[in-house]
Amino acid sequence: MAPAILPRGGSIPAKAGIGLRFAHHQAVLECPPDVAFMEVHTENYMGGGAPIRCLETVRRDYPVSLHGVGLSLGSAEGLNSLHLERIRQVAERIEPAVMSEHIAWSVSAGTFLADLLPLPMTEEALDIVCRHVDQMQNTLRRKILVENPSTYMQFRHSTIPEWEFMAAVAERTGCGILCDINNIFVSASNHGWNASAYVAALPTEAIGEIHLAGHSVRELPDGGSLRIDDHGSCVAEEVWSLYAEALRRFGPIPTLIEWDNNVPPLEVLLAQARNADAMIETENELRHAVAA
Amino acid sequence: MPSLLEIQSAMRTRLLDDSSPAAAALVTASLTSADRISIYRNTSRITLTNALRLNYPAVQLLVGEDFFAAAADLFITNEPPRTAWLDVYGATFPDFLAGFGPAASVPYLADVARLERAVSRALHAPDCQAVAPAQLASLAEPAQGCVSFVPHPAISLLASQYPVDAIWRAVLARDEAAIKAIKLDSGAVRLLIERSTGGIEVTRLEERPWHFAGALFAGRRLPEALDLAGDPNAPVWLAAHLAAGHFVSFAVNEAAHAPAALERRQ
Repeated sequence: MAPAILPRGGSIPAKAGIGLRFAHHQAVLECPPDVAFMEVHTENYMGGGAPIRCLETVRRDYPVSLHGVGLSLGSAEGLNSLHLERIRQVAERIEPAVMSEHIAWSVSAGTFLADLLPLPMTEEALDIVCRHVDQMQNTLRRKILVENPSTYMQFRHSTIPEWEFMAAVAERTGCGILCDINNIFVSASNHGWNASAYVAALPTEAIGEIHLAGHSVRELPDGGSLRIDDHGSCVAEEVWSLYAEALRRFGPIPTLIEWDNNVPPLEVLLAQARNADAMIETENELRHAVAA
Repeated sequence: MPSLLEIQSAMRTRLLDDSSPAAAALVTASLTSADRISIYRNTSRITLTNALRLNYPAVQLLVGEDFFAAAADLFITNEPPRTAWLDVYGATFPDFLAGFGPAASVPYLADVARLERAVSRALHAPDCQAVAPAQLASLAEPAQGCVSFVPHPAISLLASQYPVDAIWRAVLARDEAAIKAIKLDSGAVRLLIERSTGGIEVTRLEERPWHFAGALFAGRRLPEALDLAGDPNAPVWLAAHLAAGHFVSFAVNEAAHAPAALERRQ
């Protein structure tokens, strides 16, 4: 279970935040935008100098979420303790409100393969992931969130539906879930799952954050298509719809707009965040109306 | 049923060597399973190539995008990263370029890459508290005679027989006139690369101060470094290093200075 030591970085409100990328550092420092929080990739701030100094400045005005992309919670060979220590050092300096990682793997035989690779959904993988979530939470002395993956393939010998795998990790380790709505939509499309049923199967009390991002569609030679989670465009209409379903089920949840490729002007990101805020507000009003 | 370790080994092989069939059999939807794994391979390659591009922008401008991508692809296969901290990936890329046959027609390429590696190191090195000149002044005189220094991790020295600093600046500024003005046979350059509050600084040093800095940064004791410098200005250079915050710590070599102290007491 997660150690009962609360982080000092405050919490993120149930509103919209944006993923902060280098392209927007200057703009954000010069004119801090009206968003509820900022999220960064932990791996981009492991050195000293200008990047982390910028993040420290941002941290004075906003709650910050540290989102890791390289720890490889799903590696059979164990976690890289040096990398975990670097994550701990960034956290010590930034005092983030939230920390998260992925249900994926990217390290094999000590080599970092630079992508969030899919896990077979097996009892073995579940045990390994839970052990590593425990290790991460114990090292950081805080609860973390784990994000559901977007995948383009499934292993023949998988035995556990992904939503059950996610719920089991949260239940066994006490971690929370970072529910990536775009990932659910992408994976459900690619594998013929029911995206709404996936959302409905997640444990409401574990959801600590939501991610929204854009994806692309690739036509396959066999006439089918594959959705690629490339974070390179606006959030798709179908993903906004699924997000509305998620808000209905989970209630208002801190929501992040992610954009990593072909990063647009900051204003485009902020418009997407305002859209998420409006939907959260609608959900708040619905709940108040019901309560009254 | 394959173990997770076996699966990850097969996938790693497939991501590093595109022709390996080992992983495809593990995946459902056999018609397109190879395509599906290729998506991950492509993302991995793009991410790692971009990491190299970010660390070696002038090299890319010198050789062009396609050439760079081909060189990067081979390098990634031969030397994939051992850490997820990609800011530091590609430390050996300059050596790789030095031995890369197709790049032999650009003799200064590897040295430009070495300069970019030093710049990248300066950009991403950890923040450290520098030694204040007063700390050294507080040492007793015999101890000062046996002191050695640890340089700031952002600092490095580089020598090249080509004017790589001028090439690097002109290429990154896309300054055609400056590029044309470069004379490859203008003589060797000796550089100090560091991070200041204003950004990255690449400074040319004369031969003697550069060797003196090299001795200090290598942890040689101060008297040895002064001897090597053989220049009456060396104490001034030392003061400048201290004032610029080039050292993060110093050590007094007790074994070396103890006898001197004893002699003095006798």
